[in-house]
Amino acid sequence: MLFFVLIGVVPFCAAFIYALLYSFGMVGVLNTGFTLAFWKSVFASGEVLGSFGYSAVVAAISVLLSVSIAMWVALKFTRELNKRFLSFIIYLPLAIPGIVAAFFTFQLFSKAGFFSRIAYSFGWITKVRFFPDLVNDQLSIGIMLTFITVVMPFFVLLFLNVYKNERVEELSKLAFSLGANSSQVTWKVTIPIILRKTWTLIALYFIFLLGAYEVPLILGQESPQMLSVLIIRELNQYDLSKISEGYVVAVIYTIVVSLAAIALFSRKKMTLNEI
Amino acid sequence: MFLEVKNIVKSFHNEAVVRDLNFSLDAHKTLSILGKSGCGKTTMLKIVAGLENADAGTISLGGKNIDNVKPGKRNVVYLYQEDLLFPHLNIFENIAFGLRIKKFPEKEIVEKVNAMVESLELNGQETKMPHQLSGGQRQRVSFGRAIITSPSLLLLDEPFGSLDAGTRQRMQEFFKSLTAKYQITSLFVTHDLKEAILMGDEIAFMQSGRLKVYKDKTDFINDPVTGVQNEIGFWENLIPGKVERETLRK
Amino acid sequence: MKFSWKPFILTLLVVLIVFPFAYMVLLSMASEWRFPDVLPNYFGLRNWTQIFSSETGLISSFVLSIVISLSVAFTSTLSGFLISRSVSYHPRKRLFTLLTYFPYILAPVVFAACLSYFFLMTGLFGSATGVIVAQFMIAFPYALIFFSSFWNERIRQYEELTATLGGNRRQTFLKVLLPLAKGMLLICFFQTFLISWFEYGLTSIIGVGKVQTLTIKVFLFIKEANFYYGALSCCLLIFPPVLLLYINKRYVFNKLI
Repeated sequence: MLFFVLIGVVPFCAAFIYALLYSFGMVGVLNTGFTLAFWKSVFASGEVLGSFGYSAVVAAISVLLSVSIAMWVALKFTRELNKRFLSFIIYLPLAIPGIVAAFFTFQLFSKAGFFSRIAYSFGWITKVRFFPDLVNDQLSIGIMLTFITVVMPFFVLLFLNVYKNERVEELSKLAFSLGANSSQVTWKVTIPIILRKTWTLIALYFIFLLGAYEVPLILGQESPQMLSVLIIRELNQYDLSKISEGYVVAVIYTIVVSLAAIALFSRKKMTLNEI
Repeated sequence: MFLEVKNIVKSFHNEAVVRDLNFSLDAHKTLSILGKSGCGKTTMLKIVAGLENADAGTISLGGKNIDNVKPGKRNVVYLYQEDLLFPHLNIFENIAFGLRIKKFPEKEIVEKVNAMVESLELNGQETKMPHQLSGGQRQRVSFGRAIITSPSLLLLDEPFGSLDAGTRQRMQEFFKSLTAKYQITSLFVTHDLKEAILMGDEIAFMQSGRLKVYKDKTDFINDPVTGVQNEIGFWENLIPGKVERETLRK
Repeated sequence: MKFSWKPFILTLLVVLIVFPFAYMVLLSMASEWRFPDVLPNYFGLRNWTQIFSSETGLISSFVLSIVISLSVAFTSTLSGFLISRSVSYHPRKRLFTLLTYFPYILAPVVFAACLSYFFLMTGLFGSATGVIVAQFMIAFPYALIFFSSFWNERIRQYEELTATLGGNRRQTFLKVLLPLAKGMLLICFFQTFLISWFEYGLTSIIGVGKVQTLTIKVFLFIKEANFYYGALSCCLLIFPPVLLLYINKRYVFNKLI
């Protein structure tokens, strides 16, 4: 029990308290004592709020698209994906970490990337700059594309697993025998059952993507930046007052995420393992 | 008496689960205890096994007080409804488990286990893994694994609860012969009326944490709370002609 | 026969999945691949042979990554297994489980940034040991959560049965609990291995560029625009997980990730 507190709880608390103290100017190189100045200036600039909103939108769109596509693939190809060869192939994407996926997206979709070259050789574009902005772009298409590549395969596997474990097939047959047609079965039986079992994980993935670092670091633009990138950029500033502001953002982020954790996992008997 | 349980009391969160438990049992006898689920019988067994501590009361076994003896040193084996065979060990090793823990010499282990396999009528199954056996066979292995350590007392918590009716009946007979052969002293908990009467040399009824031990089986049968009378009434009602007599008597 | 579009979609799916792997290998063997060429000018094993001879340090990064990840996996799996037992059997289990979710759910890179002061104080900043400790702090909550489902009523019954058969705590642990948990221990080991193996942000902050694991190398190559070596290090990064997948799919896929 002591060990649990020591290595499970203490680091988190230490990190949080340190960030909190720093954000109020109570520790840190140039700081002299308690001040609200950093908090005020963070809220005044609006960059954090923008970054929050931006990260949330990017994460939400990515998760939503991933879940939808994954659901479609998993339900349309349930039988095919359980065959030997395919059942191995669909696991392969799990071997690709975020940083490799980001690198790959960059290689394919950048202005001098693979698809740009193909477009050029087919004569669709005549100059590099005519190829659309797909990485480091204003709409964050590259980031979302990468998120989807990383997350979607996981959801396909998850949905296939739930489909099997929850005996959705039998339940669907039952629904058919009760007179439902196939779209009713899909929308009123299959999808609700699967989502009910997996929504905690879906929410968890939203939070993970909210705090994702490598992918937006490689594929993001200057402004707005995703949360983790913004926090780390501020903390690594030469301007020392910026460091305190970085900790303000870190504190806000930690509180938001912790509240999300409480909302997700404090309900009775709700742990991920019971999903 | 060999086993003496006096004034045991146990409560969880201010709720009395076992109230003033008193009974005793001679060596080589089986006391069957009838009770519905939630009547406190499992807690009672766990206290006797030392897996739970009683709030008050004493237990002595073979004339010695065992209140402060750890479960591993009590020589009391507690068996659950499920057979709980170790999935990573074959049948031979499952039976040998207790002997290996007590560091018996290899030669003795082999002898004893082979003899036990014989008694359990499991010849030729020694190298199989637990999942390859039927429910009744697994339950027999579980008995063998307990009995081979020659426990002073065997505690059985609904041991046949997960078996089908036919297997259950065969296992009841088998268990009787096994306890006779190895001279086992045991407490046998069940919610099945017939099984309680069949298995016990003595018989008791447990309800809301209170245990009542009967002088003999006739006493047990005549006590309306045990439900035996109800059962008899049911069968009599089914047979025409008896119904009138029944009503007349009332 | 009715026209079926399913095989086409499936083929497309397979192509989409295999393409990144093929492309990475291709890129790692290429050089002088300038816009607008669709195929590289040079194609061969030159890059691969170079990493064995030159001072790119890829081999040492590979070895370092393996050592770090193995240490993290070993310590977090074992301690997670042991400690999750006391947590799961504790009456306040739910509160403790909730506490473990906090560090688990937080972005590792932010966690590391807030902890960096303490690493600086203890002299672990910029050392491989520091990286191991930091990665352990995020892998350990995972292991705790992972094993919390192991300690159920049935396992407790096994423990009690072993106790009444005369086993002491050590015997119960070695002869019953470890064998019963063997499968889960293996899965957790490889999962925590991969958590460490894939980690970039946290490593970059605690390691401050001095501890060059493979992910750090990949990022350095990308920054230098040395895409061929970047792809090569990506291949090295992907290889162990693919191998694990081949051995057992369950080692890489887990509901928790």
